[in-house]
Amino acid sequence: MPSGSDPAAAGPSGLARRSRRSFLTLLGLGGSTSLAGCNAPAGGSSATDGPATGDGSAPERPDYVEGTATGAQTLNFLSVDDTPSANRIELALDGAYAITPEQDVFPLWADISTDEGRVYTVELRENLEWGAGYGRMTAEDWVYMITEVFQADPNWAGFPNPGDWRRGGDPIPVEKTGTRSFEIRLPSVDPAFPLRPVMWGAFCMPKGLIERYRPDRDQEGLQQDEDVQTLAYAGNLGPYSFERWDRGSAFVAVRNDDYYLREVEDVPEEWREAPYFDSYTYEVVPEESSRISALRSGELTATDVPETRVEQLEGLDDVDVRVFPQAYMTALIYNQRANGAFYEALRKPAVRRALAYAVDKRSIVDDVLRGYATVAHTFQPTFSTWYADDEVTEYGVGDTYSHERAREGLAANLGSTPYRYDGDRVVDEAGEQVTLDLVFAQGSQAVETTAQVVAQEYDAIGLDVELSGKQYGAIVEQHLYNSWQSDGDPPWGAGPYNGGPRDGSVSQEPWDLVLGITFNTYPRTPSAIRGFTVERGGINFYGYVPETDFGPLFEAATSTVDEDARRETFEEIFGALSAEQPFNFLNMGVEIVGYDSAVAGPEEEFGYTWDRNTWRLNRQ
Amino acid sequence: MKRYTARRIAWAGVVALLILTITFVLLELAPDSQLARVQFRAAASGESAEAAADAYARRRGLDGPLWERYLEYLANLASGDWGWSDTRSQPVAEAILTALPYSLMYTVPAVLVSTTLGIAIGLYSAFNQYTKADYAATFVAFFGVSIPNFWFGIVLLLLFAVYLGWVPVLFDAELARTRTFSLANARQLALPVFVLATSAIASTMRYARAEALEYVRAAFVKTARAKGAHEWRVLTRHVLRPTLVPLSTILVGDLLGVVLSASYLVEVVFGIPGLGRLSLEAIRRQDTALVLGTTLVPVFVAVIGNLLQDLAYAVLDPRIEYGDRR
Repeated sequence: MPSGSDPAAAGPSGLARRSRRSFLTLLGLGGSTSLAGCNAPAGGSSATDGPATGDGSAPERPDYVEGTATGAQTLNFLSVDDTPSANRIELALDGAYAITPEQDVFPLWADISTDEGRVYTVELRENLEWGAGYGRMTAEDWVYMITEVFQADPNWAGFPNPGDWRRGGDPIPVEKTGTRSFEIRLPSVDPAFPLRPVMWGAFCMPKGLIERYRPDRDQEGLQQDEDVQTLAYAGNLGPYSFERWDRGSAFVAVRNDDYYLREVEDVPEEWREAPYFDSYTYEVVPEESSRISALRSGELTATDVPETRVEQLEGLDDVDVRVFPQAYMTALIYNQRANGAFYEALRKPAVRRALAYAVDKRSIVDDVLRGYATVAHTFQPTFSTWYADDEVTEYGVGDTYSHERAREGLAANLGSTPYRYDGDRVVDEAGEQVTLDLVFAQGSQAVETTAQVVAQEYDAIGLDVELSGKQYGAIVEQHLYNSWQSDGDPPWGAGPYNGGPRDGSVSQEPWDLVLGITFNTYPRTPSAIRGFTVERGGINFYGYVPETDFGPLFEAATSTVDEDARRETFEEIFGALSAEQPFNFLNMGVEIVGYDSAVAGPEEEFGYTWDRNTWRLNRQ
Repeated sequence: MKRYTARRIAWAGVVALLILTITFVLLELAPDSQLARVQFRAAASGESAEAAADAYARRRGLDGPLWERYLEYLANLASGDWGWSDTRSQPVAEAILTALPYSLMYTVPAVLVSTTLGIAIGLYSAFNQYTKADYAATFVAFFGVSIPNFWFGIVLLLLFAVYLGWVPVLFDAELARTRTFSLANARQLALPVFVLATSAIASTMRYARAEALEYVRAAFVKTARAKGAHEWRVLTRHVLRPTLVPLSTILVGDLLGVVLSASYLVEVVFGIPGLGRLSLEAIRRQDTALVLGTTLVPVFVAVIGNLLQDLAYAVLDPRIEYGDRR
């Protein structure tokens, strides 16, 4: 979504060890934002905001209309597991704080601080008012929300991320320390806690509202509550107020005249005048062509643009296409569990490295994705603070894209497996051609074409590949879920994606390669990828058993506040991953958005939506 | 006739129950993409996939045995409660009643236009067989049948909305709801009606032409002409009426086709929040209550439509009657 900041999706990372009370330090941040072209003129309104009326009344501001493919499902943030719903709620509720692209905390409702990275103090602003007669927002509301909803057992409200507020299965102690402050006492040091989507972007409901449903654990009642359905409790807590929600059509929010940020002095000037639109509308336009047409005709202010359509918008005066780096990686995943046709070979890092030589990553980025992606070499994007060029081994680009080297690598390392080269083809023990089953996610032409490219590349090194496209849900159910199929109980299990050791826990349907399942690389809190890299990781559906002992490395990286030590450890982790090639890291995606060319504010950087309330329309 | 009608309506109830049951079970068996995403996201960020699945089931009302949920649904349905749509956060009945007017706004004009023009052009072609006008009408018919609605809609939007600016690209649901009979609403409905009518007009026209040709040279028509009947009278009284009997069978089918299949595509292209998109989204998001609710509507249209069609036979053709058995 063009303006969707999805903390859960962007994920956690880096250390934000900050001194207490940092609101005022953000005034400096405002200066840099101003230089970037978002400065608000002194006194507030300007020609860019729309004409000021002669009678001294409020200036007229333009409306912002964003086109989206799908609509919201709910306005109850306790039930939100989709980005469109979260985007709409964020118009009326600011959330605790934002994270800047520089990974600084930008206080909105609250600031968070710590001395040693274990106990965090959250301090609320004093002018936060609920709507619908619920009074002032206090620490009492937050503590009640956290303990009675987020940490409730059973999870009566169906809160999608109950694990966020637990450590080792136990609730994180939370204690009120004042009318407007409370402490979060982590069981161990976690320097990246403010960057995790736990307090970052967290919403709250009034205690008085929750109390009506908590005793009977009435999720249905809460879901259907009128105040929840219309965000009536939002009061002055967001830049916009709920106006109407036409399901399947439009969500309209109007400028909130009582927005709390207007009364505070510790934020940059442009935040106090925000937002710069009279209304913000999410218009649901399911068909891609219609969205692009509406952008061209000026009926939409912004909408996502697929890479295949950027060309149509280039050269138009009224439309400006911007490209934002993202943290989602596309990988070619190898099945190293026992139900693959080539698993004995794929378990060997040397074989995986040989296969990585065979696929031209640059060509996929340039020709299939039309340049709208970047080549990936490890489980971090290159813009990440934790990415170190000199630690990462590159495959599939320049000299490291070579069918000859791939063949040599395979020939040299297939020896201890049932496979071998017979002429220029790879055969099994019976002398039959090895054919790999590549399952790809349907719905994206780019993914399908990439699968075809991979099949051609593998054919060139003697491996046949059969392609089969499936719906995402079917891939998950048939190939990603795996369970113990051998005798007796599994020695261990790590959930539906990792039912146990790779020799005994296999998926319902056999597979060799999967394409089209993207992984979040969590550049802010890279320790979140642990589950991908250790044998017992909850998401290790591909049966990867690393040669490097990643567990202790992650422990070391997450338990120290020493920034240099963390950096060194993460660099070692990402270097080792690039060398072991648990899967072929292909590319990092981008988000492409088409804007009305008068829109000022969005910067082409990761996490660009954090200050979307300060964006405006600069009509000449 | 009464007994026949009652029996048909009772049978409709059985059919509806059967379809509901099958739909309910199929939805349960189908892989749930949203659940898969929720679980994947949880597992990928180091959370428990099982806890995420439990929370999802709790939110979506899927946390009980299948039979228990089904019986509860039927009990609620019997009391007039169609359930709660989890993916729209509103009662299913409200969702359908909100969407229905949007669908009717363009399907009713499209069906009226296509039926009237289709029959008229068909009769004209039959009366002027193998003339230039007949060939032109046949071309229009084949064009309408052949051209995909989806593509046609996109091209028309580009031409009339983007380049000429005569109509808006986006459908304004608020405008349609508050100023239904306004010029502005007519403007935004013009293209959907045109696209839908173009495809529906073709089949009606071809059927009307074929049926009318059977009667144009019939003995009773010649007799009417010999007795000095005016061409208009021959057309409307002697050809149109017998033509309408078989034609009425395709009208119900047409209506269903328009509402059920064509409307999906038209509503997606033009962004109209009608019944087609409602049911499409319900299926995509596996919103059980909403899928069942939107399934009941076409079942009702099909069963009642067919009943009305059978009853229309008797009105149009005096030789047909549904005598009650004694």
